[in-house]
Amino acid sequence: MQVLSYSGSQLVDLCSALLLLTCFAIVAQRRLSACVDLFALQSAFLVVTAALVAYLTGNQHIYIAAVLTGVIKVIIIPRVLKKVIDRLNVKRELVMYVNVPAGLLICGGLVMLAFFISEPIIPLGFLLTRDSLAIALAIVLIGFFTMIARQKAVTQLVGFLVLENGLFLGATAATYGMPLIVELGVFFDVLIATLIAGIYTNRLQDAFDSVDTNRLTVLKE
Amino acid sequence: MLQAIILVIAQVTVLLTVSPFLVGLIRKVKARLQLRRGASVFQPYADLAKLFRKQPVLSTTTSWIFTVTPYIVFASTLTAGLLVPTFISQNPMNFAGNIIALVYLLALGTFFLILAGLDAGSAFGGMGSSREAIVASLTEPAMILSIFAIALTNGSTNLSTIVHKTALLDGVATDPSPQLMALASLFLVALAETGRVPIDNPATHLELTMIHEAMILEYSGRYLALLEWAASLKLAVFLSLIANVFAPWGIATTAAPAAMMIGVLVYLAKTAALATVIGMIECMFAKLRLFRVTDLLGVAFILGLLGLLFFYTLRS
Repeated sequence: MQVLSYSGSQLVDLCSALLLLTCFAIVAQRRLSACVDLFALQSAFLVVTAALVAYLTGNQHIYIAAVLTGVIKVIIIPRVLKKVIDRLNVKRELVMYVNVPAGLLICGGLVMLAFFISEPIIPLGFLLTRDSLAIALAIVLIGFFTMIARQKAVTQLVGFLVLENGLFLGATAATYGMPLIVELGVFFDVLIATLIAGIYTNRLQDAFDSVDTNRLTVLKE
Repeated sequence: MLQAIILVIAQVTVLLTVSPFLVGLIRKVKARLQLRRGASVFQPYADLAKLFRKQPVLSTTTSWIFTVTPYIVFASTLTAGLLVPTFISQNPMNFAGNIIALVYLLALGTFFLILAGLDAGSAFGGMGSSREAIVASLTEPAMILSIFAIALTNGSTNLSTIVHKTALLDGVATDPSPQLMALASLFLVALAETGRVPIDNPATHLELTMIHEAMILEYSGRYLALLEWAASLKLAVFLSLIANVFAPWGIATTAAPAAMMIGVLVYLAKTAALATVIGMIECMFAKLRLFRVTDLLGVAFILGLLGLLFFYTLRS
């Protein structure tokens, strides 16, 4: 492993911090479509981070992972989710298990936890940056929390995808990317999971939501 | 000594002349984005001149607080403005107070404005005051936390030292992650404190939505002019703070005339750019319901806290 330039690792830190920033925007956002947009933005930051890591370490296969992230998480998955949201008759999530200000405080606590856990590891390992691993852990925890705190299937799915973004960031920053075959498998899994969850959401909408009757009649024939 | 006095006068002049322009610019950007022509960017100057010539009307139910408030608000905001470097990094008034004094000078103005809103005894004024109190009590912790994050990463609470140190490094932030969190937090606070769109709508006089306008509803003539000017000064103070703490490129680091000329021009460009961003935000987002303001300011608070966390857990 080569010694990295100081400013390069700072850029990676900055991009990871932007990922964490979008996480909090997702936690505070009630509109479903805005949540999906924020997820796309977060994935775009992830692409930049991965490309930076690839450039700084010279590992070519991270470029492929970055491009795949761009195609799948910035373009395809948000489109699929937007299609799902178009069919729903709710545009914003008004009732949650944990309300937004309390959720934000809990997420702040989770970040604190993640930072304290990863703090002793940082000086031991040979990490690209100081912050990325801690931030990746924090994003995973916030993703978990979003899945628990939200009631709508779409936002739970966004929580799952945020969690996956955190894992990818951790893998890229801590180990300079997993082997390409593993990454390909993960991307495929995430894509399929999103598609299945999208269909599942639509079925939920159809089976339980009596408000939207005209869509139900369309389905019946 | 003489140089310091001249610099202070220059700073006052810059702040007083630039601030109405920023308000005019935001309105202009907003109008252009809404496909209107909009008033000239210099319209706020004409408004101020008109208001200063008008005779003020005072309600018979008001006390001395009502008449003294405009002067206190204006003076405290201007003093706060003197603590923030605008075009020169080594501000001559920096001995007078640090970044914490700045926060509470602004809070002093807010406090008297809240009192004055209640003073006339009108329902609107009281409503505006109670809303302003909610917003102010939510912004203060967020602002203090983000300011501590900035102060810790730069190793000083003195704004001139912070800006000067960063400017000498050619504006490269020494530690970008806490700075980023503090920037995001401070920007949200700035929107809330200056009564901009997601929190308050400065263009409306609709009783259900207004906050700042409701408090100053009873004012007229030169008192209203002073309050309007103070509000635009507050905007200028926040924009200078954000521009110079996070991007101090081009600010004059010495008192040489050429450097200061460049400093003034760069300052104008930076604040105008930030005002344009605010104008765009006003077009893109709807005003939040009052009970949703806690969500947004909660984000600001947590981001300020994160800035500190970055510093304490990952840097120690």
